[in-house]
Amino acid sequence: MSSSVLGMSLKARRIFGRTLSYVVLVCLGIVGIAPFVYLAILSTKRRIDILSQVPPKLTFDWAVVKDTYQEVLKDQGMQSFVWNSVLVVGTATMISLLIGTPAAYAFSRLRFRGSSRLAETILSMRFMPPITVAIPLFLMVKFFGFQDSYIGLILPYVAFSLPVVVWITIGFFDEIPSEIDDSAMVDGCSRYQVLWKVLLPIIRPGLVTAALFGAIFIWNEFLVALYIVDSREHQTISLGAATLVSAQRPIDWNIAAAVGVVAVIPILLMSLIIQRYIVRGLTAGAIK
Amino acid sequence: MTKVSSSIDSGKNRRRDFTVPVLLGPCVIYLAIFAIFPLIYSLRLSLTDLTADAGSGHWVGLRNYKNLVTDPDFWNAAKNSVVVVVSSVTCQLVLGTALAMFFNMRLKGSWIVRGILVLPMLINPTVVGVMWRALLNPDWGIVNYALQRIGISPVGWLGTIEMAMKTMILVDIWQWTPFVFIIVYARLQALPQDVFESVKVDGAGTWRTFRSVTLPLLAPALVFAGVFRAVDAFRSFDLVYGLTYGGPARTTTTLSFFAFQNGFQFQNYGYAAAVAYLMLIALVIGTSALLRVINLRANEAR
Repeated sequence: MSSSVLGMSLKARRIFGRTLSYVVLVCLGIVGIAPFVYLAILSTKRRIDILSQVPPKLTFDWAVVKDTYQEVLKDQGMQSFVWNSVLVVGTATMISLLIGTPAAYAFSRLRFRGSSRLAETILSMRFMPPITVAIPLFLMVKFFGFQDSYIGLILPYVAFSLPVVVWITIGFFDEIPSEIDDSAMVDGCSRYQVLWKVLLPIIRPGLVTAALFGAIFIWNEFLVALYIVDSREHQTISLGAATLVSAQRPIDWNIAAAVGVVAVIPILLMSLIIQRYIVRGLTAGAIK
Repeated sequence: MTKVSSSIDSGKNRRRDFTVPVLLGPCVIYLAIFAIFPLIYSLRLSLTDLTADAGSGHWVGLRNYKNLVTDPDFWNAAKNSVVVVVSSVTCQLVLGTALAMFFNMRLKGSWIVRGILVLPMLINPTVVGVMWRALLNPDWGIVNYALQRIGISPVGWLGTIEMAMKTMILVDIWQWTPFVFIIVYARLQALPQDVFESVKVDGAGTWRTFRSVTLPLLAPALVFAGVFRAVDAFRSFDLVYGLTYGGPARTTTTLSFFAFQNGFQFQNYGYAAAVAYLMLIALVIGTSALLRVINLRANEAR
Protein backbone atom coordinates (compact mmCIF):
# COMPACT_ATOMS: atom_id res chain seq x y z
CA MET A 1 0.00 0.00 0.00
CA SER A 2 1.21 3.45 -0.84
CA SER A 3 1.71 5.57 2.23
CA SER A 4 1.50 8.86 0.42
CA VAL A 5 -1.20 10.66 -1.41
CA LEU A 6 -0.45 13.86 -3.30
CA GLY A 7 3.16 13.40 -2.32
CA MET A 8 2.48 13.71 1.39
CA SER A 9 3.43 11.31 4.09
CA LEU A 10 0.66 9.67 6.09
CA LYS A 11 1.32 11.94 9.03
CA ALA A 12 1.32 15.13 6.97
CA ARG A 13 -1.89 13.98 5.33
CA ARG A 14 -3.53 13.44 8.69
CA ILE A 15 -2.49 16.88 9.91
CA PHE A 16 -3.72 18.41 6.66
CA GLY A 17 -7.08 16.62 7.04
CA ARG A 18 -7.45 17.79 10.63
CA THR A 19 -6.67 21.38 9.72
CA LEU A 20 -9.11 21.28 6.83
CA SER A 21 -11.81 19.88 9.13
CA TYR A 22 -11.32 22.73 11.57
CA VAL A 23 -11.47 25.27 8.76
CA VAL A 24 -14.79 23.77 7.68
CA LEU A 25 -16.03 23.83 11.27
CA VAL A 26 -15.15 27.48 11.69
CA CYS A 27 -16.78 28.34 8.36
CA LEU A 28 -19.98 26.59 9.46
CA GLY A 29 -19.97 28.59 12.65
CA ILE A 30 -19.53 31.80 10.68
CA VAL A 31 -22.36 30.98 8.27
CA GLY A 32 -24.58 30.34 11.27
CA ILE A 33 -23.73 33.40 13.31
CA ALA A 34 -22.69 36.06 10.78
CA PRO A 35 -26.23 37.12 9.77
CA PHE A 36 -27.02 37.84 13.44
CA VAL A 37 -23.80 39.79 13.90
CA TYR A 38 -24.48 41.79 10.74
CA LEU A 39 -27.97 42.66 11.94
CA ALA A 40 -26.59 43.73 15.32
CA ILE A 41 -23.98 45.95 13.64
CA LEU A 42 -26.59 47.57 11.39
CA SER A 43 -28.72 48.36 14.43
CA THR A 44 -25.93 50.55 15.80
CA LYS A 45 -25.65 52.71 12.68
CA ARG A 46 -27.48 55.82 11.64
CA ARG A 47 -29.93 55.46 8.79
CA ILE A 48 -27.66 57.31 6.42
CA ASP A 49 -24.56 55.33 7.43
CA ILE A 50 -26.17 52.05 6.49
CA LEU A 51 -26.58 53.30 2.95
CA SER A 52 -23.15 54.89 2.64
CA GLN A 53 -20.81 52.65 4.68
CA VAL A 54 -20.30 49.46 2.73
CA PRO A 55 -19.16 47.39 4.50
CA PRO A 56 -20.24 48.96 7.80
CA LYS A 57 -17.34 50.20 9.91
CA LEU A 58 -16.85 48.67 13.31
CA THR A 59 -16.91 51.96 15.16
CA PHE A 60 -19.80 52.69 17.42
CA ASP A 61 -21.38 55.96 18.35
CA TRP A 62 -23.13 55.13 21.60
CA ALA A 63 -25.42 58.14 21.38
CA VAL A 64 -26.79 56.80 18.08
CA VAL A 65 -27.18 53.31 19.54
CA LYS A 66 -29.04 54.74 22.52
CA ASP A 67 -31.34 56.78 20.29
CA THR A 68 -32.20 53.86 18.02
CA TYR A 69 -32.96 51.44 20.83
CA GLN A 70 -34.81 54.10 22.75
CA GLU A 71 -37.07 54.58 19.76
CA VAL A 72 -37.55 50.85 19.18
CA LEU A 73 -38.16 49.93 22.81
CA LYS A 74 -40.25 52.91 23.86
CA ASP A 75 -41.76 54.71 20.87
CA GLN A 76 -42.34 51.64 18.73
CA GLY A 77 -43.39 49.69 21.81
CA MET A 78 -41.08 46.68 21.55
CA GLN A 79 -40.55 46.72 25.29
CA SER A 80 -44.22 46.18 26.02
CA PHE A 81 -44.43 43.62 23.17
CA VAL A 82 -41.78 41.52 24.92
CA TRP A 83 -43.74 41.69 28.15
CA ASN A 84 -47.00 40.79 26.34
CA SER A 85 -45.30 37.79 24.74
CA VAL A 86 -43.91 36.58 28.06
CA LEU A 87 -47.33 36.89 29.64
CA VAL A 88 -49.33 35.28 26.83
CA VAL A 89 -46.85 32.52 25.98
CA GLY A 90 -46.09 31.83 29.66
CA THR A 91 -49.74 31.46 30.62
CA ALA A 92 -50.61 29.39 27.56
CA THR A 93 -47.65 27.08 28.18
CA MET A 94 -48.59 26.55 31.83
CA ILE A 95 -52.16 25.63 30.85
CA SER A 96 -50.84 23.29 28.16
CA LEU A 97 -48.62 21.51 30.66
CA LEU A 98 -51.46 21.30 33.15
CA ILE A 99 -53.87 19.55 30.79
CA GLY A 100 -51.31 17.93 28.47
CA THR A 101 -49.27 16.04 31.05
CA PRO A 102 -52.15 13.94 32.43
CA ALA A 103 -53.18 13.15 28.87
CA ALA A 104 -49.64 12.08 27.97
CA TYR A 105 -49.57 9.91 31.08
CA ALA A 106 -52.82 8.22 30.08
CA PHE A 107 -51.51 7.54 26.57
CA SER A 108 -48.27 6.15 27.92
CA ARG A 109 -49.69 3.92 30.66
CA LEU A 110 -53.33 3.04 30.28
CA ARG A 111 -54.85 0.68 27.76
CA PHE A 112 -58.18 1.81 26.40
CA ARG A 113 -60.08 1.48 23.17
CA GLY A 114 -58.97 3.93 20.46
CA SER A 115 -55.90 4.92 22.43
CA SER A 116 -53.38 5.05 19.59
CA ARG A 117 -55.93 6.51 17.19
CA LEU A 118 -56.66 9.36 19.59
CA ALA A 119 -52.98 9.95 20.26
CA GLU A 120 -52.27 10.14 16.53
CA THR A 121 -55.12 12.60 16.03
CA ILE A 122 -53.77 14.86 18.74
CA LEU A 123 -50.19 14.66 17.51
CA SER A 124 -51.20 15.37 13.91
CA MET A 125 -52.63 18.69 15.07
CA ARG A 126 -49.04 19.85 15.44
CA PHE A 127 -49.01 20.00 11.63
CA MET A 128 -52.26 21.87 11.13
CA PRO A 129 -51.73 24.84 8.81
CA PRO A 130 -52.38 27.93 10.95
CA ILE A 131 -53.99 29.47 7.90
CA THR A 132 -56.79 26.89 8.00
CA VAL A 133 -57.87 27.74 11.53
CA ALA A 134 -56.90 31.42 11.84
CA ILE A 135 -60.16 32.90 10.55
CA PRO A 136 -62.48 30.51 12.45
CA LEU A 137 -60.48 31.07 15.65
CA PHE A 138 -60.73 34.80 15.13
CA LEU A 139 -64.49 34.60 14.63
CA MET A 140 -64.84 32.38 17.73
CA VAL A 141 -62.77 34.69 19.89
CA LYS A 142 -64.79 37.63 18.60
CA PHE A 143 -68.03 35.78 19.38
CA PHE A 144 -66.92 35.26 22.99
CA GLY A 145 -65.99 38.93 23.23
CA PHE A 146 -62.29 38.29 23.79
CA GLN A 147 -61.13 40.16 20.71
CA ASP A 148 -58.03 42.27 21.31
CA SER A 149 -57.23 40.84 24.72
CA TYR A 150 -54.68 38.54 26.32
CA ILE A 151 -57.30 35.84 26.82
CA GLY A 152 -58.16 36.03 23.14
CA LEU A 153 -54.57 35.06 22.34
CA ILE A 154 -54.10 32.54 25.13
CA LEU A 155 -57.14 30.45 24.16
CA PRO A 156 -55.92 29.50 20.65
CA TYR A 157 -52.28 29.33 21.74
CA VAL A 158 -53.02 26.60 24.27
CA ALA A 159 -54.51 24.58 21.42
CA PHE A 160 -51.37 25.16 19.33
CA SER A 161 -48.88 24.14 22.00
CA LEU A 162 -50.87 21.22 23.46
CA PRO A 163 -49.96 18.70 20.72
CA VAL A 164 -46.28 19.60 21.10
CA VAL A 165 -46.43 19.22 24.87
CA VAL A 166 -48.30 15.91 24.72
CA TRP A 167 -45.93 14.58 22.07
CA ILE A 168 -42.78 15.33 24.06
CA THR A 169 -44.08 14.22 27.46
CA ILE A 170 -45.36 10.88 26.12
CA GLY A 171 -41.76 10.13 25.14
CA PHE A 172 -40.49 10.88 28.63
CA PHE A 173 -43.21 8.82 30.33
CA ASP A 174 -42.45 5.89 28.03
CA GLU A 175 -38.88 5.87 29.30
CA ILE A 176 -39.90 5.26 32.90
CA PRO A 177 -40.47 1.56 33.60
CA SER A 178 -44.08 0.94 34.59
CA GLU A 179 -42.87 -1.21 37.51
CA ILE A 180 -42.43 2.08 39.35
CA ASP A 181 -46.17 2.78 38.97
CA ASP A 182 -47.02 -0.75 40.02
CA SER A 183 -44.98 -0.70 43.18
CA ALA A 184 -46.32 2.70 44.16
CA MET A 185 -49.86 1.42 43.64
CA VAL A 186 -49.14 -1.65 45.74
CA ASP A 187 -48.09 0.79 48.44
CA GLY A 188 -51.56 2.29 48.23
CA CYS A 189 -51.19 5.19 45.83
CA SER A 190 -54.01 5.94 43.42
CA ARG A 191 -53.27 6.55 39.72
CA TYR A 192 -53.41 10.28 40.32
CA GLN A 193 -51.04 10.09 43.27
CA VAL A 194 -48.63 8.02 41.21
CA LEU A 195 -48.63 10.70 38.55
CA TRP A 196 -48.43 13.62 40.92
CA LYS A 197 -46.10 12.36 43.64
CA VAL A 198 -43.95 9.75 41.94
CA LEU A 199 -43.69 10.40 38.21
CA LEU A 200 -43.79 14.17 37.88
CA PRO A 201 -40.62 14.64 39.95
CA ILE A 202 -38.87 12.03 37.81
CA ILE A 203 -39.81 13.56 34.47
CA ARG A 204 -39.04 17.14 35.44
CA PRO A 205 -36.50 17.44 32.55
CA GLY A 206 -39.27 16.22 30.26
CA LEU A 207 -41.62 18.89 31.52
CA VAL A 208 -38.97 21.55 30.98
CA THR A 209 -38.33 20.30 27.45
CA ALA A 210 -42.04 20.16 26.67
CA ALA A 211 -42.62 23.63 28.10
CA LEU A 212 -39.72 25.14 26.16
CA PHE A 213 -40.71 23.64 22.83
CA GLY A 214 -44.37 24.37 23.34
CA ALA A 215 -43.40 27.94 24.19
CA ILE A 216 -41.13 28.44 21.16
CA PHE A 217 -43.87 27.01 18.95
CA ILE A 218 -46.24 29.81 19.95
CA TRP A 219 -43.65 32.50 20.65
CA ASN A 220 -43.10 32.85 16.90
CA GLU A 221 -46.79 32.70 15.95
CA PHE A 222 -48.27 35.85 14.52
CA LEU A 223 -50.96 34.97 11.99
CA VAL A 224 -53.68 34.36 14.57
CA ALA A 225 -52.44 37.37 16.54
CA LEU A 226 -52.74 39.47 13.40
CA TYR A 227 -56.49 38.78 13.34
CA ILE A 228 -57.20 38.89 17.05
CA VAL A 229 -55.14 41.87 18.19
CA ASP A 230 -56.05 45.34 16.93
CA SER A 231 -54.41 47.67 19.41
CA ARG A 232 -50.68 48.04 20.00
CA GLU A 233 -51.45 47.52 23.66
CA HIS A 234 -51.78 43.75 23.27
CA GLN A 235 -49.32 43.02 20.47
CA THR A 236 -46.88 40.18 21.00
CA ILE A 237 -43.27 40.46 19.97
CA SER A 238 -43.61 38.38 16.82
CA LEU A 239 -46.68 40.35 15.74
CA GLY A 240 -44.97 43.63 16.61
CA ALA A 241 -41.82 42.65 14.73
CA ALA A 242 -43.85 41.39 11.78
CA THR A 243 -45.79 44.62 11.42
CA LEU A 244 -42.71 46.78 11.91
CA VAL A 245 -40.50 44.99 9.40
CA SER A 246 -42.96 43.52 6.89
CA ALA A 247 -41.55 43.10 3.40
CA GLN A 248 -44.68 44.86 2.18
CA ARG A 249 -43.32 48.38 2.49
CA PRO A 250 -40.00 50.19 2.68
CA ILE A 251 -38.46 50.44 6.11
CA ASP A 252 -35.88 52.36 8.08
CA TRP A 253 -33.09 49.85 8.22
CA ASN A 254 -31.51 50.88 11.48
CA ILE A 255 -34.90 50.59 13.18
CA ALA A 256 -35.67 47.29 11.45
CA ALA A 257 -32.31 45.89 12.50
CA ALA A 258 -32.85 46.95 16.11
CA VAL A 259 -36.34 45.39 16.07
CA GLY A 260 -34.71 42.19 14.84
CA VAL A 261 -32.12 42.29 17.59
CA VAL A 262 -34.73 42.84 20.29
CA ALA A 263 -36.78 39.97 18.89
CA VAL A 264 -33.77 37.65 18.77
CA ILE A 265 -32.38 38.33 22.26
CA PRO A 266 -35.07 36.48 24.27
CA ILE A 267 -34.65 33.44 22.00
CA LEU A 268 -30.88 33.70 22.30
CA LEU A 269 -31.08 33.68 26.10
CA MET A 270 -33.53 30.80 25.98
CA SER A 271 -31.32 28.79 23.62
CA LEU A 272 -28.46 29.06 26.11
CA ILE A 273 -30.69 27.57 28.79
CA ILE A 274 -32.08 24.85 26.58
CA GLN A 275 -28.83 23.53 25.09
CA ARG A 276 -29.23 20.51 27.37
CA TYR A 277 -32.77 19.82 26.26
CA ILE A 278 -32.69 20.82 22.65
CA VAL A 279 -31.77 17.50 21.13
CA ARG A 280 -34.41 15.68 23.17
CA GLY A 281 -37.04 18.21 22.20
CA LEU A 282 -36.30 18.18 18.50
CA THR A 283 -35.93 14.45 18.21
CA ALA A 284 -39.14 13.69 20.13
CA GLY A 285 -40.83 10.96 18.14
CA ALA A 286 -37.88 10.48 15.80
CA ILE A 287 -36.15 7.76 17.73
CA LYS A 288 -38.07 5.01 19.35
CA MET B 1 -63.59 12.04 17.58
CA THR B 2 -62.88 8.68 19.06
CA LYS B 3 -65.01 8.09 22.11
CA VAL B 4 -63.07 7.52 25.28
CA SER B 5 -64.55 4.46 26.92
CA SER B 6 -63.91 3.14 30.37
CA SER B 7 -60.45 1.75 30.84
CA ILE B 8 -59.81 -1.95 31.00
CA ASP B 9 -56.99 -1.44 33.38
CA SER B 10 -54.83 -4.45 34.04
CA GLY B 11 -56.27 -6.69 36.72
CA LYS B 12 -58.63 -4.12 38.18
CA ASN B 13 -62.12 -5.01 39.29
CA ARG B 14 -65.09 -4.60 36.99
CA ARG B 15 -66.29 -1.41 38.67
CA ARG B 16 -66.56 1.47 36.20
CA ASP B 17 -63.27 3.32 36.21
CA PHE B 18 -63.08 7.01 35.37
CA THR B 19 -59.29 7.31 35.31
CA VAL B 20 -58.98 7.66 31.54
CA PRO B 21 -61.74 10.26 31.10
CA VAL B 22 -60.40 12.28 34.02
CA LEU B 23 -56.82 12.29 32.69
CA LEU B 24 -57.69 12.76 29.03
CA GLY B 25 -60.89 14.75 29.29
CA PRO B 26 -59.53 18.29 29.60
CA CYS B 27 -57.04 17.82 26.76
CA VAL B 28 -59.54 16.19 24.41
CA ILE B 29 -62.33 18.66 25.15
CA TYR B 30 -59.99 21.61 24.75
CA LEU B 31 -58.73 20.43 21.38
CA ALA B 32 -62.25 19.58 20.25
CA ILE B 33 -63.28 23.18 20.90
CA PHE B 34 -60.19 25.04 19.73
CA ALA B 35 -58.83 22.76 17.00
CA ILE B 36 -61.46 20.38 15.64
CA PHE B 37 -64.32 22.84 15.70
CA PRO B 38 -62.34 25.56 13.86
CA LEU B 39 -61.46 22.98 11.21
CA ILE B 40 -65.13 22.18 10.66
CA TYR B 41 -66.01 25.86 10.84
CA SER B 42 -63.38 26.53 8.20
CA LEU B 43 -64.98 24.00 5.87
CA ARG B 44 -68.32 25.75 6.32
CA LEU B 45 -66.73 29.13 5.68
CA SER B 46 -65.26 27.86 2.46
CA LEU B 47 -68.81 27.27 1.22
CA THR B 48 -69.89 30.88 1.87
CA ASP B 49 -69.01 34.24 0.40
CA LEU B 50 -68.17 35.76 3.79
CA THR B 51 -65.97 38.83 3.72
CA ALA B 52 -64.83 41.02 6.60
CA ASP B 53 -67.62 43.56 6.10
CA ALA B 54 -70.51 41.40 4.90
CA GLY B 55 -72.17 39.96 8.01
CA SER B 56 -72.70 36.22 8.14
CA GLY B 57 -72.01 35.41 4.51
CA HIS B 58 -74.31 33.54 2.19
CA TRP B 59 -74.14 29.91 1.29
CA VAL B 60 -72.66 29.61 -2.16
CA GLY B 61 -72.02 25.89 -2.34
CA LEU B 62 -68.87 24.95 -4.19
CA ARG B 63 -68.53 28.29 -5.96
CA ASN B 64 -65.28 29.24 -4.19
CA TYR B 65 -63.73 25.94 -5.17
CA LYS B 66 -64.94 26.30 -8.76
CA ASN B 67 -63.44 29.79 -8.93
CA LEU B 68 -60.17 28.50 -7.51
CA VAL B 69 -59.76 25.86 -10.17
CA THR B 70 -59.93 28.53 -12.87
CA ASP B 71 -57.84 31.08 -10.97
CA PRO B 72 -54.35 31.24 -12.55
CA ASP B 73 -53.00 32.83 -9.36
CA PHE B 74 -54.04 29.73 -7.43
CA TRP B 75 -52.20 27.42 -9.80
CA ASN B 76 -49.19 29.69 -9.73
CA ALA B 77 -49.16 29.50 -5.93
CA ALA B 78 -49.63 25.73 -6.00
CA LYS B 79 -46.69 25.36 -8.37
CA ASN B 80 -44.54 27.60 -6.16
CA SER B 81 -45.43 25.56 -3.08
CA VAL B 82 -44.38 22.34 -4.79
CA VAL B 83 -41.10 23.92 -5.90
CA VAL B 84 -40.32 25.22 -2.41
CA VAL B 85 -41.19 22.00 -0.62
CA VAL B 86 -39.40 19.62 -3.00
CA SER B 87 -36.22 21.60 -3.56
CA SER B 88 -35.63 22.94 -0.09
CA VAL B 89 -36.39 19.65 1.66
CA THR B 90 -34.17 17.70 -0.75
CA CYS B 91 -31.26 20.08 -0.19
CA GLN B 92 -31.79 20.06 3.55
CA LEU B 93 -31.75 16.26 3.70
CA VAL B 94 -28.50 16.04 1.73
CA LEU B 95 -26.75 18.86 3.57
CA GLY B 96 -28.11 17.82 6.97
CA THR B 97 -26.78 14.29 6.51
CA ALA B 98 -23.41 15.65 5.38
CA LEU B 99 -23.30 17.86 8.47
CA ALA B 100 -24.16 14.92 10.71
CA MET B 101 -21.33 12.85 9.22
CA PHE B 102 -18.97 15.79 9.63
CA PHE B 103 -19.88 16.36 13.27
CA ASN B 104 -19.56 12.65 13.89
CA MET B 105 -15.79 13.21 13.64
CA ARG B 106 -16.24 14.85 17.05
CA LEU B 107 -13.76 17.65 16.58
CA LYS B 108 -12.86 19.64 19.68
CA GLY B 109 -15.11 22.64 20.12
CA SER B 110 -17.73 21.36 17.68
CA TRP B 111 -20.40 21.64 20.38
CA ILE B 112 -20.06 25.42 20.16
CA VAL B 113 -20.77 25.39 16.43
CA ARG B 114 -23.66 23.00 17.04
CA GLY B 115 -25.10 25.48 19.52
CA ILE B 116 -24.81 28.25 16.93
CA LEU B 117 -26.42 26.19 14.19
CA VAL B 118 -29.46 25.49 16.33
CA LEU B 119 -30.16 29.20 16.67
CA PRO B 120 -31.66 29.99 13.23
CA MET B 121 -34.52 27.52 13.57
CA LEU B 122 -35.64 29.04 16.86
CA ILE B 123 -35.93 32.52 15.37
CA ASN B 124 -39.14 34.01 14.08
CA PRO B 125 -39.11 33.57 10.27
CA THR B 126 -40.16 37.20 9.84
CA VAL B 127 -36.96 38.27 11.56
CA VAL B 128 -34.99 35.76 9.49
CA GLY B 129 -36.58 37.41 6.47
CA VAL B 130 -35.60 40.92 7.47
CA MET B 131 -32.08 39.76 8.32
CA TRP B 132 -31.55 38.28 4.88
CA ARG B 133 -33.13 41.25 3.18
CA ALA B 134 -30.38 43.31 4.79
CA LEU B 135 -27.62 40.86 3.90
CA LEU B 136 -28.79 40.61 0.30
CA ASN B 137 -29.70 44.26 -0.22
CA PRO B 138 -28.79 45.19 -3.80
CA ASP B 139 -27.40 48.62 -2.87
CA TRP B 140 -25.51 48.17 0.39
CA GLY B 141 -25.88 44.49 1.42
CA ILE B 142 -22.69 42.79 2.52
CA VAL B 143 -23.16 39.68 0.39
CA ASN B 144 -23.06 41.47 -2.95
CA TYR B 145 -20.18 43.58 -1.65
CA ALA B 146 -18.22 40.44 -0.80
CA LEU B 147 -19.03 38.88 -4.17
CA GLN B 148 -17.80 41.98 -5.95
CA ARG B 149 -14.58 41.89 -3.97
CA ILE B 150 -13.82 38.41 -5.29
CA GLY B 151 -14.77 39.42 -8.82
CA ILE B 152 -18.34 38.15 -9.13
CA SER B 153 -20.87 40.62 -10.48
CA PRO B 154 -23.67 41.54 -8.05
CA VAL B 155 -26.71 39.28 -7.96
CA GLY B 156 -30.31 40.51 -7.89
CA TRP B 157 -31.18 38.14 -5.07
CA LEU B 158 -34.69 39.16 -4.10
CA GLY B 159 -35.59 41.76 -6.69
CA THR B 160 -35.49 39.70 -9.86
CA ILE B 161 -38.01 37.20 -11.15
CA GLU B 162 -35.30 34.66 -11.97
CA MET B 163 -33.63 34.73 -8.56
CA ALA B 164 -36.28 35.49 -5.91
CA MET B 165 -37.54 31.94 -5.54
CA LYS B 166 -34.03 30.48 -5.47
CA THR B 167 -33.04 33.00 -2.82
CA MET B 168 -36.04 32.12 -0.68
CA ILE B 169 -35.15 28.44 -0.90
CA LEU B 170 -31.57 29.28 0.06
CA VAL B 171 -32.71 31.15 3.15
CA ASP B 172 -35.00 28.27 4.09
CA ILE B 173 -32.03 25.93 3.72
CA TRP B 174 -29.94 28.19 5.96
CA GLN B 175 -32.64 28.19 8.61
CA TRP B 176 -33.70 24.55 8.58
CA THR B 177 -30.77 22.35 7.52
CA PRO B 178 -29.66 22.24 11.19
CA PHE B 179 -32.98 20.60 12.06
CA VAL B 180 -32.26 17.68 9.74
CA PHE B 181 -28.71 17.63 11.03
CA ILE B 182 -29.77 17.34 14.69
CA ILE B 183 -32.23 14.53 13.93
CA VAL B 184 -29.79 12.56 11.78
CA TYR B 185 -26.92 13.17 14.20
CA ALA B 186 -28.96 11.89 17.13
CA ARG B 187 -29.75 8.75 15.18
CA LEU B 188 -26.11 8.35 14.21
CA GLN B 189 -25.10 8.49 17.87
CA ALA B 190 -27.65 5.85 18.74
CA LEU B 191 -26.35 3.34 16.18
CA PRO B 192 -24.30 0.40 17.45
CA GLN B 193 -20.65 1.14 16.68
CA ASP B 194 -19.67 -2.51 16.17
CA VAL B 195 -21.49 -2.56 12.82
CA PHE B 196 -19.11 0.03 11.46
CA GLU B 197 -16.11 -1.71 12.94
CA SER B 198 -16.98 -5.05 11.38
CA VAL B 199 -17.43 -3.34 7.99
CA LYS B 200 -14.08 -1.67 8.43
CA VAL B 201 -12.50 -5.04 9.08
CA ASP B 202 -14.08 -6.29 5.85
CA GLY B 203 -12.10 -3.57 4.10
CA ALA B 204 -14.93 -1.50 2.70
CA GLY B 205 -14.05 2.05 1.69
CA THR B 206 -15.51 5.13 3.32
CA TRP B 207 -18.03 5.81 0.57
CA ARG B 208 -19.07 2.16 0.30
CA THR B 209 -19.59 2.00 4.05
CA PHE B 210 -21.71 5.11 3.93
CA ARG B 211 -23.80 3.95 0.97
CA SER B 212 -24.47 0.40 2.03
CA VAL B 213 -24.36 0.53 5.83
CA THR B 214 -24.78 4.01 7.28
CA LEU B 215 -27.44 5.38 4.94
CA PRO B 216 -29.90 2.49 5.31
CA LEU B 217 -29.50 2.69 9.08
CA LEU B 218 -30.20 6.40 8.98
CA ALA B 219 -33.29 5.98 6.79
CA PRO B 220 -35.89 6.21 9.58
CA ALA B 221 -34.40 9.49 10.82
CA LEU B 222 -34.28 10.85 7.27
CA VAL B 223 -37.91 9.94 6.67
CA PHE B 224 -38.95 11.58 9.92
CA ALA B 225 -36.95 14.75 9.25
CA GLY B 226 -38.06 14.89 5.61
CA VAL B 227 -41.77 14.55 6.30
CA PHE B 228 -41.55 16.96 9.23
CA ARG B 229 -39.78 19.57 7.13
CA ALA B 230 -41.99 19.08 4.08
CA VAL B 231 -45.14 19.66 6.09
CA ASP B 232 -43.71 22.70 7.84
CA ALA B 233 -42.40 24.19 4.61
CA PHE B 234 -45.81 23.66 3.03
CA ARG B 235 -47.88 25.17 5.81
CA SER B 236 -45.72 28.10 6.87
CA PHE B 237 -46.11 31.50 5.29
CA ASP B 238 -44.08 33.74 7.57
CA LEU B 239 -40.79 33.47 5.67
CA VAL B 240 -42.56 34.71 2.55
CA TYR B 241 -44.15 37.44 4.63
CA GLY B 242 -40.82 38.61 6.00
CA LEU B 243 -38.62 38.06 2.97
CA THR B 244 -40.48 38.82 -0.25
CA TYR B 245 -44.16 39.38 0.46
CA GLY B 246 -44.83 37.05 -2.44
CA GLY B 247 -43.08 39.15 -5.06
CA PRO B 248 -41.70 40.07 -7.45
CA ALA B 249 -44.61 39.38 -9.81
CA ARG B 250 -45.99 36.64 -7.50
CA THR B 251 -42.95 34.44 -8.15
CA THR B 252 -42.63 33.60 -4.46
CA THR B 253 -46.33 33.46 -3.57
CA THR B 254 -46.89 30.03 -2.09
CA LEU B 255 -50.30 28.52 -1.32
CA SER B 256 -50.23 29.48 2.33
CA PHE B 257 -49.22 33.03 1.46
CA PHE B 258 -51.94 33.14 -1.22
CA ALA B 259 -54.47 32.06 1.41
CA PHE B 260 -53.10 34.65 3.82
CA GLN B 261 -53.40 37.43 1.26
CA ASN B 262 -56.97 36.52 0.42
CA GLY B 263 -57.95 36.19 4.04
CA PHE B 264 -56.15 39.10 5.60
CA GLN B 265 -55.28 41.63 2.95
CA PHE B 266 -58.35 41.27 0.74
CA GLN B 267 -60.50 40.07 3.68
CA ASN B 268 -62.13 37.50 1.46
CA TYR B 269 -62.74 34.89 4.18
CA GLY B 270 -64.70 32.38 2.13
CA TYR B 271 -62.17 32.23 -0.67
CA ALA B 272 -59.24 32.04 1.76
CA ALA B 273 -60.94 29.21 3.63
CA ALA B 274 -61.35 27.30 0.37
CA VAL B 275 -57.63 27.63 -0.38
CA ALA B 276 -56.76 26.61 3.18
CA TYR B 277 -59.03 23.59 2.94
CA LEU B 278 -57.52 22.41 -0.29
CA MET B 279 -54.13 22.75 1.42
CA LEU B 280 -55.32 20.63 4.30
CA ILE B 281 -56.55 17.93 1.94
CA ALA B 282 -53.27 18.03 -0.01
CA LEU B 283 -51.40 17.77 3.28
CA VAL B 284 -53.31 14.71 4.46
CA ILE B 285 -53.12 12.94 1.10
CA GLY B 286 -49.52 13.96 0.54
CA THR B 287 -48.15 12.80 3.86
CA SER B 288 -50.02 9.52 3.92
CA ALA B 289 -49.00 8.75 0.32
CA LEU B 290 -45.41 9.67 1.08
CA LEU B 291 -45.32 7.49 4.18
CA ARG B 292 -46.86 4.60 2.27
CA VAL B 293 -44.35 4.84 -0.57
CA ILE B 294 -41.48 4.98 1.89
CA ASN B 295 -42.89 2.01 3.79
CA LEU B 296 -43.16 -0.01 0.58
CA ARG B 297 -39.59 0.79 -0.31
CA ALA B 298 -38.40 -0.20 3.14
CA ASN B 299 -40.23 -3.52 2.87
CA GLU B 300 -38.84 -4.22 -0.59
CA ALA B 301 -35.34 -3.58 0.63
CA ARG B 302 -35.68 -6.38 3.16
